[in-house]
Amino acid sequence: MAVFDTPQEAFGFLRPVCVQLTKAQTVENVEHLQAQLRAVGDSALQELQQYVLFPLRFALKTPGPKRERLLQSVVECLTSVLSATCVKDPGLLQELFSELSACLYSPASQKPAALSEELKLAVIRALSTLMHSAYGDIILAFYQPALLPRLGFAVSLLLDLTEQEKSKEIKTAAVHCLQVLLLQCECGDHPRSLDESEQMELGDLFASFLPGISTALTRVITGDFKQGHSTVVSSLRLFHKTVGFIMADEQLRRISGAQAMPAVEQRVAELMIHRKADWVKNTGAKLALLLKRIIECVSIHPHWKVRLELVELVETLLVKCGQSLVESASPLLKALVSLVNDESPQVQVRCSKTLRHLADQQVVVGSRAFTDILSENLHSLATSLPRLMNSQDDQGKFSTLSLLLGYLKLLGPKVNLVLHSMAHLQRLSKALIQVLELDVTDVKVVEERRWHTHELSASPEAPATARPWNHVQRRYFRFFTDERVFLLLRQICQLLGCYGNLYLLVDHFLELYRESVVYRKQAAMILNELVIGAAGLEVVVEGLYAKSPQASPEDLRDSITAVLEEYTSQENWYLVTCIEAEEMGGEFTVQPPGLPAITSGAHTCQVASFQAGSKPSPTICTMNSNIWQICIQLEGIGHLAYALGQDFRLLLMSALYPTLEKAGDQSLLISQAAMGAMMDMCLACGYDSLQHLINDNSDYLVNGISLNLRHLAQHPHTPKVLEVMLRNSDASLLPLVADVVQDVLATLDQFHDTRAASFVGVLHALLAALAQWYPATGQPPEQSVGQEDSHWSRRATLEKGPAATTATTTTTTSITAEDLEQFVLNYLKEKEAAEGNVSDVDDEEEAPSVPPEADESDRRPDMEPPLPPQTQIAKDVMERCIHLLSDKNLKIRLQVLDVLDLCVVVLQSHKNQLLPLAHRAWPSLVHRLTNDDPLAVLRAFKVLRTLGGQCGDFLRSRFCKDVLPKLASSLVTQAPVSARAGPVYSHTLAFKLQLAVLQGLGPLCESLDLGEGDLNKVAGACLIYLSAKQPVKLQEAARSVFLHLMKVDPDSTWLVLRERHCPELLTPPHSSLCPVRLLGAPGQQSPFTANVLHLLQELP
Amino acid sequence: MATPSLPPPDPQFVLRGTQAAIHALHFCRGTPAQGHPLLLSGSMSGLVHIWSLQTRRALATLDGHRGQCVTWLQMLPHGHQLLSQGRDLRLCLWDLVEGRHTVTDSVLLTNVSFCRSAVLAGAQPRWMLAVPGRGTEEVEILEMPSKTSVCTLKPEAGAKPGMPMCLKLWQQADSSSRPCLLAGYEDGSVALWDVSERKVCSRMTCHPEPVMALDFDSQKARGVSGSAEKALAVWSLDEQQALKACRNYELTNPGIADITIRPDRKLLATAGWDHRVRLFHWRTMKPLAVLDFHTSAVHCVAFASDGLLAAGSGDQRISVWSLYRRT
Repeated sequence: MAVFDTPQEAFGFLRPVCVQLTKAQTVENVEHLQAQLRAVGDSALQELQQYVLFPLRFALKTPGPKRERLLQSVVECLTSVLSATCVKDPGLLQELFSELSACLYSPASQKPAALSEELKLAVIRALSTLMHSAYGDIILAFYQPALLPRLGFAVSLLLDLTEQEKSKEIKTAAVHCLQVLLLQCECGDHPRSLDESEQMELGDLFASFLPGISTALTRVITGDFKQGHSTVVSSLRLFHKTVGFIMADEQLRRISGAQAMPAVEQRVAELMIHRKADWVKNTGAKLALLLKRIIECVSIHPHWKVRLELVELVETLLVKCGQSLVESASPLLKALVSLVNDESPQVQVRCSKTLRHLADQQVVVGSRAFTDILSENLHSLATSLPRLMNSQDDQGKFSTLSLLLGYLKLLGPKVNLVLHSMAHLQRLSKALIQVLELDVTDVKVVEERRWHTHELSASPEAPATARPWNHVQRRYFRFFTDERVFLLLRQICQLLGCYGNLYLLVDHFLELYRESVVYRKQAAMILNELVIGAAGLEVVVEGLYAKSPQASPEDLRDSITAVLEEYTSQENWYLVTCIEAEEMGGEFTVQPPGLPAITSGAHTCQVASFQAGSKPSPTICTMNSNIWQICIQLEGIGHLAYALGQDFRLLLMSALYPTLEKAGDQSLLISQAAMGAMMDMCLACGYDSLQHLINDNSDYLVNGISLNLRHLAQHPHTPKVLEVMLRNSDASLLPLVADVVQDVLATLDQFHDTRAASFVGVLHALLAALAQWYPATGQPPEQSVGQEDSHWSRRATLEKGPAATTATTTTTTSITAEDLEQFVLNYLKEKEAAEGNVSDVDDEEEAPSVPPEADESDRRPDMEPPLPPQTQIAKDVMERCIHLLSDKNLKIRLQVLDVLDLCVVVLQSHKNQLLPLAHRAWPSLVHRLTNDDPLAVLRAFKVLRTLGGQCGDFLRSRFCKDVLPKLASSLVTQAPVSARAGPVYSHTLAFKLQLAVLQGLGPLCESLDLGEGDLNKVAGACLIYLSAKQPVKLQEAARSVFLHLMKVDPDSTWLVLRERHCPELLTPPHSSLCPVRLLGAPGQQSPFTANVLHLLQELP
Repeated sequence: MATPSLPPPDPQFVLRGTQAAIHALHFCRGTPAQGHPLLLSGSMSGLVHIWSLQTRRALATLDGHRGQCVTWLQMLPHGHQLLSQGRDLRLCLWDLVEGRHTVTDSVLLTNVSFCRSAVLAGAQPRWMLAVPGRGTEEVEILEMPSKTSVCTLKPEAGAKPGMPMCLKLWQQADSSSRPCLLAGYEDGSVALWDVSERKVCSRMTCHPEPVMALDFDSQKARGVSGSAEKALAVWSLDEQQALKACRNYELTNPGIADITIRPDRKLLATAGWDHRVRLFHWRTMKPLAVLDFHTSAVHCVAFASDGLLAAGSGDQRISVWSLYRRT
C-alpha cells in the first residue's frame, strides 16, 4: 500500500534520503532509500525516476575501488526502481545499459570482473529489468547499428558468464538476460510486436552475434550432464529462438541483393552483416555442425525436460528455417523421429504433436527437398539396419527401429517414392527379414502335444476379444528378446502396408517367401502385418495423414487372395511337424505321390508334397521351424479375414478347410494358432460361434473333404476334418453328410488295411452325431413298449404269488389251494415260454411279422420304400463295422465296437435293418466277447447290452448258447482271485471286467427275458460275489444283478438266496404241505449273510 | 490315354445339394450386377437350381415341372430368359430379370420323348425352336415367342428312323444363312434337314444303336455323335450338304449320354454311362483325359464360355473342372 501517491509528497519524502546518499555512499543509505521507496506509489515514482536514479547512478559511477556490498545494494535498488517505472528516454536507457554492463567488466584483465556471485546476479537481473522497462519505441532506438559495439559487449559478457560461471542461478539468469536482450523474451510485458521491416533490421543486427552466441551456447549445451538441466533447457531455448529469428526463411526470402546499407561509421560497418545468400549458406553449414553436436548430445540427455526442449528446437527450426537450414533437416528430423518413442510420455506426446503439426503444415510432403532427405535417411538407415540389428542391444534396436517407424510416419504416402526404387525396397525388406529371424532351437515347440481331440468341439467360447489378432503367440527371435521391438516391427510393417503400394509390397514379399525357406517365416509375418495395415485398421498411424489407406478394396481383395493361395498351397501348408510314424500310429505307408495329368488353374494340387517327407529324418530344428511357419500362416489367415471383414466369406471356401485341418493338428501351437484363426474368421464374417461358422460353411468343407479323400496318401488328415465338422454340425446338414459319407466309405473300403484307424474315428463321430441328431422317437419303440407293458402287468399278477408265499412266513393268512394251483399253472406256462418254446405262446411275445411299411398301397410293389438317410448311413457303417470287428489292431477293434454300439442305437427303430445286420455281426461279436483282450471284452459287453436292450428276443437263445456259459465260467474262475486280492486289485483290468460284467448282466437278463435255466446260471455265477470277502464294488454289482433277477423271476431268486443263507426256519403255510428244507441253515453266519439279507428285504 | 502314368486331375469343386440326379446343365453369364457366371442345373426331381460359381452355392431354385425330370436347359441370348424342358411334357420359358423367377410362357409337348429340344436364336427378337413333334418320328419347328408352328419335319415315306433322340439347330455360314437341323434318330442315323424347304438333305447311319447325343461345329462343318454303344462317330458335311462319315472312335465302355464341343472348338467332352467324362482334342480327336469322379452315370456335360467344364451325374453331384483353360 503506497503511502505517497502524489509526486510532491513523494519528493518531499525522498529528498532527504537522496541527498544523504549523494553525500555519503554507504550501504545503509542505499537500504534506507530502498525502504523509503516502498512507500512511494508507482506513478509518483515514475515522475521522480530521474531524481531517484541520480544518486544511485552516481554511486555506480564514482571512480575508485568500490565495495562490492555497496555496489550490490545500489544495483538492487536500481532494479527495484526500474521494475516499478519505465524508461522513456533513449539516452537514459543507453547510459544505464552501459553503466550496468560496465559493472561486470574488469578493463584490466579484459575479462568479466571477478566479482561476488551475488553482485553478478544483481547486475544481470538489473539489465534484464532495464530492458523490460524500456518504454515503447525507444527500445528500437536502442537497437541501432551505432550501438552495435555496446550491445555486442554486453552479449559477449553474458555469454562468458553463462559459460564460465559455476552458479546455476547466474547461468540461467544470464541466458534469460540474453534472451531479453535479443528480444526473444517470452513474458507478456512487451508492449508491441515488431513489424516485418523492423524484424529485418533487427535480424541483420543480431546476425553479427550469431556465431558467438551459437558456438558459446553449443558449448554450454553439450557440456557435462551434471551442470543441471535448467541451464541446458534455457540455453537450448535461447539457441533455437535466436537461430529461428535470424535464419527465418520468412526474413531471408525478402532480402534483396542490393539493400541500402544504413549509414554508419566505418568501425561499426565492419561489424554489420548483410544476410546474403552465400552468408546464409555458410552459416547454415556451420550451424549444421553445431546442431549435429547438440542433437547427438541432447537426444540422450537423461532429463526429459531437456529432450522436450529439443523437440521444441526441432519444431522451431524446421518450421521457421526449413530452407536456410536445409542441411540440418536430416539430423533434425532424425532427432524428432527418434524421440517419438521416448520413455517420457510428455516428450512422446509433444513429439507426436509436432510430427502431426509438421505433417499438417506439409513441411515434409510439401517440399521435395524434405522428401528426398527423408528417403535418403530411410535408405541409409535400411542399409545399416542389418548391421545395427546384429550389434546393438535391445535398447539400441528399439531406438533404431523407432527411428525407422518415425520416418515412415513422416513420409506417409510419400513412402512409395522410396519403395518404388528397387534398391531401397530390397534393402528395407532384407533388413526386416533379418531382424525377424526366429529362434528355432527350442525342442519344446515340437514336443508340445494336443492330447484332447475333443478340444475343438468342447470349446465353443465366443470370440469375445475385441481384436483377437492383436494377441500373438509368443515368439522367440534370434536377434532380440524385447517384446517392444517386435511391436515396433509390426507397426513398421503395418505402416508400410497402409501407405505403401500394396501390390508392389505383397508381390515383393511373396517373392521373398518363395525364394528361400530361410526367409519364409519372416516374409509371412511381414505379409500378415502389411495386410492389416493395408486394411487401415490399425490405429498406430495416429492420424498423421488421412487414415484412408492407399489400397483400394479391389486391390486388397486381390492381394489377400494371392497371399491366401500361397499360404495354403500344398508345398507351404503340409510341412513335416512331427515324426510321421508317430503321427500315423505306425500305419503309415507312403503312397507314390501322383501328379495330376493336367494342372488346373486355381486348384493346383499334389505338387511333390512329400518333398520334405522324403528326407530321411527331419531335424528338430526343421520341425520347429515348420511348426512356426504354419502358425504364422494360420495367424496370417486370421489377419486376412480381419482385414477383409465380410468379404472374407467368399474366401472361406479355400481357407476354412485348411484351417480346420490344422485345428486338429497334434502340435499344441499349431492347433492353438488354428483356433485363433478360426475365431478371427468368425469375427470377420459375422458368425457368433465356431459352430456356426463350421455349420454354415459345411458345403465348402465337404467339397474339400471329398476331393481330398481321393488322394488320401497326400491328405492323411482329411478324416479328422470331417470329424471336427460332424461334431459341429446339426441335422440340417444330413444330405451333405450323407453325400460325403459315401466317399468316406468308398475310401475306407479302398484303404481298410492301412488307414482304418483314422476312418473309424470319423465313423464314430458320424454315428455319435446321428444318434444325437435323431434321438429315437419312440424309445423304446412302440411295439416293444406294448410288449413290455403286457409283460409287466402279467408279472404283476404273478408276483402276488411269491409275495403271498413270503407273506406266510410272517402272517399265516388264508391262501387257498386254488390260488396255489393257479400260480403253479402259470408258472409252468411261463417256464415253457422262457425256454424258447414259443410256438404256442400267445402272439404278444412275437413281433408282428408284417412290417408296417409294406401295407402302404401306393408304393410300387417291386420297390422298397427308401430308407431315411440316417438309417441308410448307419446301415452302411454297420456293415463296415462287421468287417472291421476282426481287425488286427486292438485299438481299431475297440473303436469299432464303440461305433457298433452307436449303430445299434441309431438303428433301433428299424428292426428290419438292424436284425439281419445283428445276425451277421453276431459271430464276430461273440468272438470279441469270449476270445479277446479284456478291453475288447469290456466294450463288446457294452455292445451286447445295447443290443440286448433293442432286440432281446432275437438275442436270447444266441446269448444263452454262445456267450452266457463263457461269461459265467469266467466269473466263477475269477471270483477266488478277486476275493483274495488286495486294494490294488481294483485298478486292474480283470477287476474292471468283472465289474462291467456284473453290472451289465442284470439289465441284460431282464431285457433278454432269460429262461429259468439260464437265470440260474447267472445267479450261480453271481452268488459268489455276494460274499463279504469280495471287493465292495463287486458286491454292489452282484447285488444289482440279483435285483434285476428278482424282477424277472422273484421266486427262483428267493430260492437261490435262501439256499445260501436262511435267516429263519420256514413254516409251511398249510399243514398239508411238508416243511421246506433249505441248504442254508438258519442263524448260521456266513460271508454272504449281509448281502443276502439285504436282498431278501428288497424282495416284495 | 496320352499320359497313362499320371492320374487324372480333380474337379475344381463339386456342387452338392440338389438331392436328385442331374439331367441338364447350362452355363450362363450372370447379370451385370452379380458379375459372375452362373450355372443352371436341372434335376430328376423337377427342380432347376441356379448356382453362383463365385460362392459355389445355389442362389435360387425354380420349380416348374411338377416333380418331373428336367431334361434340357437353355438361356436365350437376348434378355434373361430361360427355357427348360421337363418330362411333364412342358417347355417353360422363365423370366429371370431382376431376381424374378416366374414362368412367362410354356409350350406343351404332345409326345413322350427322350429328345432334348434345340434353339436357334440370334439378336432378333424372334427365334426358332425345334421340339419333338406330334408323331413319334416327327420334329416340329416353332417360331417363338409367338409359338406359331413353322413346319413339321416328317421323314419321307419308307424311312423308319424311329423317334428323334437329339436335335441341333444351326444356320449355314454362307450368305443364305438358312436354318438347318441335325437330328439323331432311334435307328442310329443322323439326318440333316433343310428347315425352310422341309426336306432331308442327307441321311447317314452312324450307329447300330440309337443316337443319344450329337454336337456340330458349323465352322468346320464337322459333327460328332454318340450312342448307346461304345463308339463315337465323327462325320462331316460336304459342299453338297451331304453327310459323310469321317471316322469312328472306340471307347472302353458303352453309352454316351451327352456330347459338347467347347465354344472355342478346341475340346470335346462326352458324358459316359460308365461314370466318366472324356475329353478329346476336337480337331485331331486325340483322347486327352478321362475324368473319373462320379459314382453314377454322367448325364450331361456343359462348357462355359471361359472354358469351365461342368458335368452332372446320377450321383446327385455336379463336378466343375478347370481344364486346358486359356491363360
